[in-house]
Amino acid sequence: MTDLILLKHELLLTALLLIFILMKLGKDISNSSFLKMSNALLLINFIIGFFGNQHGQMFASMFQTNELMALQKNMLNGGLLLISLSSSRWLNNHIHLPEFFMLIVATLLGMFFMISSNNLLVFYLALELATIPLAALCSFDLDKRQSSEAGMKMIMSSAFASGILLMGISLVYGVTGTLAFTEMSSLIASDHLTVFALILLFAGFAFKLSVVPFHLWTADVYEGSPVAVTSYLSVISKGAMVFVFTSVLYQVFKPMQEVMYQLIYIGAVLSMTIGNLFAMRQQNIKRFLAFSSIAQVGFILTGISGFSHTGAASATFFILVYVFSNMAAFAVAGIVSSAIGRETIDDYKGFYRTNPFLSWVLAIALFSLAGIPPTAGFFGKFFLLSAGAAKGNYVLITIAALNMIISLYYYLRIVRAMFMDKNETPIGSVNLSFNERAAIIICIAGILISGIWNGPFHTIHHSVTEAFSITPF
Amino acid sequence: MDTTEFLIKLILVISVFGISLLIAMYSTYAERKVAAFLQDRLGPNRAGPFGILQPVADGVKMFMKEEIIPANADKFLFIAGPSLMMLTACMTGVVIPWGGELTIGRNTFNLQITDVNIGLLYIFGVVSIGVYGIMIGAWASNNKYSLMGGLRASSQMISYELAMGISIIALVMTTGTLSTKEIVEQQSSWHWNILYQPLGFLIFLVCAFAETNRTPFDLPECETELIGGFHTEYSSMKLGFYLFAEYINMFISSAILATLYFGGYNFPFIESWGLSPNAVTIIGTLLFFGKIFFFIFFFMWVRWTIPRFRYDQLMNLGWKVMIPLALFNLFITGIITLWRNGAF
Amino acid sequence: MTLTVFYLLSALSVFSGLMVVLSRKAVHSVLYLVFCFFTIAGHYLMLNAQFLAAVHVIVYAGAIMVLFLFVIMMLNLNLAAEAQKTPWIKISAVILSGLMLLVLVASVKGAEELSAAQPQNDIGLVKNIGNILFDKYLLPFELISLLLLSAMVGAVLMGRKEPQPQNE
Repeated sequence: MTDLILLKHELLLTALLLIFILMKLGKDISNSSFLKMSNALLLINFIIGFFGNQHGQMFASMFQTNELMALQKNMLNGGLLLISLSSSRWLNNHIHLPEFFMLIVATLLGMFFMISSNNLLVFYLALELATIPLAALCSFDLDKRQSSEAGMKMIMSSAFASGILLMGISLVYGVTGTLAFTEMSSLIASDHLTVFALILLFAGFAFKLSVVPFHLWTADVYEGSPVAVTSYLSVISKGAMVFVFTSVLYQVFKPMQEVMYQLIYIGAVLSMTIGNLFAMRQQNIKRFLAFSSIAQVGFILTGISGFSHTGAASATFFILVYVFSNMAAFAVAGIVSSAIGRETIDDYKGFYRTNPFLSWVLAIALFSLAGIPPTAGFFGKFFLLSAGAAKGNYVLITIAALNMIISLYYYLRIVRAMFMDKNETPIGSVNLSFNERAAIIICIAGILISGIWNGPFHTIHHSVTEAFSITPF
Repeated sequence: MDTTEFLIKLILVISVFGISLLIAMYSTYAERKVAAFLQDRLGPNRAGPFGILQPVADGVKMFMKEEIIPANADKFLFIAGPSLMMLTACMTGVVIPWGGELTIGRNTFNLQITDVNIGLLYIFGVVSIGVYGIMIGAWASNNKYSLMGGLRASSQMISYELAMGISIIALVMTTGTLSTKEIVEQQSSWHWNILYQPLGFLIFLVCAFAETNRTPFDLPECETELIGGFHTEYSSMKLGFYLFAEYINMFISSAILATLYFGGYNFPFIESWGLSPNAVTIIGTLLFFGKIFFFIFFFMWVRWTIPRFRYDQLMNLGWKVMIPLALFNLFITGIITLWRNGAF
Repeated sequence: MTLTVFYLLSALSVFSGLMVVLSRKAVHSVLYLVFCFFTIAGHYLMLNAQFLAAVHVIVYAGAIMVLFLFVIMMLNLNLAAEAQKTPWIKISAVILSGLMLLVLVASVKGAEELSAAQPQNDIGLVKNIGNILFDKYLLPFELISLLLLSAMVGAVLMGRKEPQPQNE
């Protein structure tokens, strides 16, 4: 029974899921009190996540956990709490509030199992658990056509991605005769069939991460989904995939680093460039953030391509930064969208005159996304690029640097629209509730603190070194 | 497999097939007689003494009717529908243990065609694909009333299959085996499963009515709403197949009910009569058929007593009553099984 | 004997699998798919996995495909509803899938042959499956239960058609 502490994060979420279902089945609870209770529960869940983390394996070593994974799960837990807080306005008005929490907790549970999986079977099932409720969440604005379209596109594209992934998994199984990660890595040889399997696996991952050329679903799904779900998709879902990507790549496919590097190289260059070029042209703020998140994935891949402890640590750190920055941006977009109902970038002209606080928040978040020094985003990108540079491919780094400059242009375009441009019908002043204010302040504090203080990065780097100490590079 | 064994199995297969058809044939006659009895009428009495040749006359009539295939029908599927219906109806008899062991000369043989170790699942599988006959026929007719009947049949069957499956799981938890032969042998003397699984039996019984499309669950062929239901466009022997398959299904369901819950060929205190094994087997088989006839009568009794459900009532009963009850039964069975194994 | 049955079953399953894709009518595709499932169940039987075969028939042919058929019949899909494809899409699809096939064949051809694991004849029996499922594969088993639960919540949510008066 003492082993069960290893499953702590997962058990807590399962308990939350069941509690939400029971709360739904029981007496009618008003939305606001349900929201209060669920926020309290998520907070408790987040806090407990920090204590008593151990490392070890369970279930015939199908499940593994260590301090790094616990850290990653805590980050995702915190992200979920932030989403719940920042989108309380939208949630409060939704008649299916309990279902939102059931589904979102279920997908997070899937992501936790995915991070902790040590076996391709568990990995695949966890991936499905993370994806299927997410599709339902995408169409959560039941009366909006766009939202249904988003759900449909999500489920279709992820089914296709799962198909490709499964094909890759079956080929890997055919080549090695095992599904366990630890056994697999010693059996993998780089013959043609394994390379092909690896490409299929990579394609499956790339779909979920929306790496170009597997990004086509991203913009439509992000635009159609409710803002809370969009931020979940772009931050938490993507973050979990990055975590899994580093652990699977770094541990299982280590013998095939060269092939892997080629794939990541192409993916990174295409994602950065195409994401940026498309982001420049967008008018809808959600679509804009979708393409900018594609570009961000390109930078993450640059860091991962380093194949080093620093690479894994910088990717993890970047996700931390990304949680804060993107969440702040989405919080503002979501608040404006659910309070006023306007989503285009032109609507944000003259935003500073009516909502100075929100304008500053959005500006800081965008600075951080662009990577401007006092914010955390700068260090995030800096670590990623230096990890990538360690490999010695300066073409990639040059392209990344050029792309950072391009991205500055379009991030600052919004800042200019908010602060300098004039608008005859600006967005009206929005009153913030306590929850929203709390979420925003946490995000901004996160951006600024991790931009100045290097503590988080060292903690992550330390646990990465610890986690990968069994399999040195 | 040597030749004698093969021959015995062949004889068994043919006789089970023949008996199924015969009983189904006379069920049609019995149905009309029971209806007449319940409605205080005489019933068919012209063909032969007491109208005993009525089924033969009906069969001849069916064959003689004009065979019509609608112009816009999907020809192949139109014919495949009733054939499939017949096939699935006849397939289940294979795993039902019709009796114990007979010893003739030096050969001992089993009155069961084959004892697969997943007999119960086999039955369930065949039942679950039984709906294709109706759906294919209904779709191939290219008629909206037929299609409605087919849709009703499929949704009804799926809804009730769930409860049926869960009640079977509870049964399997008490018996610990999926083989029909072993299930019957465990019920020797008076240890019938009905005593251990009363609720499960009730659920299974209701679901059996629904699966065979018998009243009060005969919405797929509800004539006041759907003309003739899924077989509106059928005529001649293809219609005959559909009607006939329903009676075979009824016979087989009765046999399954008797096998699973009423001790199959077992009867209390039969071993204390001091008969020879062969006689016990023969009496057991006859008793088994007696139980089957009782259930067939029960099916008819219900048909002429209870009116048809409305569609929403049917769905409510299936999803909101049957499935929760079946789950409750499963839960209770699980607790009792644990308790008997000394878990508490 | 066994080999003949194997080849027969395989030919049938490949044939029906092809017909699923090639049939013009959606209902025919579904029925071919059902048939394909039966042939696969036959393969399970040949591997002495009776439990798997029965469950395969019950779950796939008996439940899932009936629902498929239900939906397709209800929507009454026909040829006119099929989206028109331009020749360019067709040509590029052919080229791409041809390339994919080429790569697949080439990579399989170059692969080393892995000696098959010692076949276990009784692996498919109910008892052994139960033991493996609740012992070694407990975690995936429980994960599936969570997956089904959450999928059910999602499906019920989307299946409900209620207007949202409070939301604009």
